[in-house]
Amino acid sequence: MESKRTGHSIEEYRRGYAEEHRLRGFRSGCGFVTATWGLLCPRCGARDLEEQPLSGRGRVVASTVQTVPAEGFVNDAPYAYVVVELEEGGRITGWIPGIRQPMEIPAGARVHWVSSPRAGVQFEVDYSPREEPPRSGGATPP
Amino acid sequence: MRPTWVAGAAMSRFGRLETTGREAAAAVALAALDRAGIEPGKVELTVVANAFGIAERQAHVGPLLNTALGIPQVPSFTVESACSSSSAALHEAFVHVAGGFQDVVLVVGFEKLSHLGTLAATSYFAMGADYPFESANGATFPGLYATIADAHARKYGTSSEELGAVAIKNHANGARNPHAHFQKEISLATYLASPVVASPLRLYDCCPFSDGAAAVVVAAAEAVPHPSAEPAVIRASARAGDVGDIHDRESMTSLAATQTAARAAFRQAHLEPREVQFLEVHDCFTIAELVALEDLGFFPPGSAGKATREGVTARDGTLPVNSSGGLKAKGHPVSATGAAQVVEVFEQMNGLAGSRQVPHAEVALTHNVGATGSSCSVHLFSRR
Repeated sequence: MESKRTGHSIEEYRRGYAEEHRLRGFRSGCGFVTATWGLLCPRCGARDLEEQPLSGRGRVVASTVQTVPAEGFVNDAPYAYVVVELEEGGRITGWIPGIRQPMEIPAGARVHWVSSPRAGVQFEVDYSPREEPPRSGGATPP
Repeated sequence: MRPTWVAGAAMSRFGRLETTGREAAAAVALAALDRAGIEPGKVELTVVANAFGIAERQAHVGPLLNTALGIPQVPSFTVESACSSSSAALHEAFVHVAGGFQDVVLVVGFEKLSHLGTLAATSYFAMGADYPFESANGATFPGLYATIADAHARKYGTSSEELGAVAIKNHANGARNPHAHFQKEISLATYLASPVVASPLRLYDCCPFSDGAAAVVVAAAEAVPHPSAEPAVIRASARAGDVGDIHDRESMTSLAATQTAARAAFRQAHLEPREVQFLEVHDCFTIAELVALEDLGFFPPGSAGKATREGVTARDGTLPVNSSGGLKAKGHPVSATGAAQVVEVFEQMNGLAGSRQVPHAEVALTHNVGATGSSCSVHLFSRR
């Protein structure tokens, strides 16, 4: 059976966030949302993955402050690597420069994606006044 | 399937190899065959694990090992499953022998990365992750396990003291293991004073980059009528996979591949967790040991840390875990690790573990994870 998927390649995903100011993802028939490239849904096996533009807004469900950097981030340490649960569902990963202590990203902290010429998907902690302040114990990890 | 044994097993000291990996691998292969009392000429297949052989500019190393062992005509192939490469190789050997295709299969796992700098070695380890969707966003390998630790702490309140209890226990065991990379005990104060690598993980939460080699001789029981050593009967050999990226999994506080492989292994062996007397689990980071013990069914989710602090998993506890020192203290030469876990089982079952001997060594489990849990092997063993 031929896939109905009309989605992007890994390179198009990278170019999307790095150059085109768009964060691309997929949505499966079962509701699973991801940015991770694939042909079929890893949850339900469905072939009908649809393009799902990602807002890049959400809450941090897991994070770490890395003092030993990854290749390509040597001059950025320490920085945060975060797993973000998006408003539209699904999770994506990214990094936040300038974070030195875990307490700077409390549980459930709201973040938003910022288009940056730097490597990787970059987030900022959202201090917008319309957002609720992060509550202690916030989002429950999956 | 016919009865299949680990007839012999041996390993190098883990740490820094002065020789090439290939030389160390051939030496432990011969030592394992000697322990089994099986001449190299009886080997019918060699299954090699050497995920990062490219670091030594060497691929297709099986024929080179077989040539060094005087058996160049024997077929070989290399299995790659990141940190679970040699347990995947063991699984392949088991399938070949239990299925009746070969009588004696040699499993050899080895790695040499110490000649690379820390940054390069870190980059090699990170290759087991999903580069465009994890590593390219800044994740290191410790960073990925740190997100599991963070999620586990948020959900269950897992503390630094609980993570530290794993490190302290495994260092205490490693101090009694002449094969171990680190042979020194550490205190909670030492643990807590070690620098943070990727919060909440400190230096002493992380296994070291190690060189090393380990080999296992898998043989049909009927092919070894007079074994030189007490064989470890392979009661189950099960593997499972999961979504590659941690963040795309349903749970970030458990590894579904471990749960699936464990269920299959216990079913295959007609055993239950309560019957296992000691086990070697994949503690590449302290959090990994706690999650493994919960996923394997030995403790309810969120409770392995407390049990570890209470000494349940200590060498003299009711369920000794990582009597070898684990990856944490014994070391983690990626593709040697799964085979080295079996060396510990073999030595314990033969009473060769010296001062780290566990009180009851009749039934054992090994658990070896590839990358962050996208691959997992679980094996169960018992004495005859």
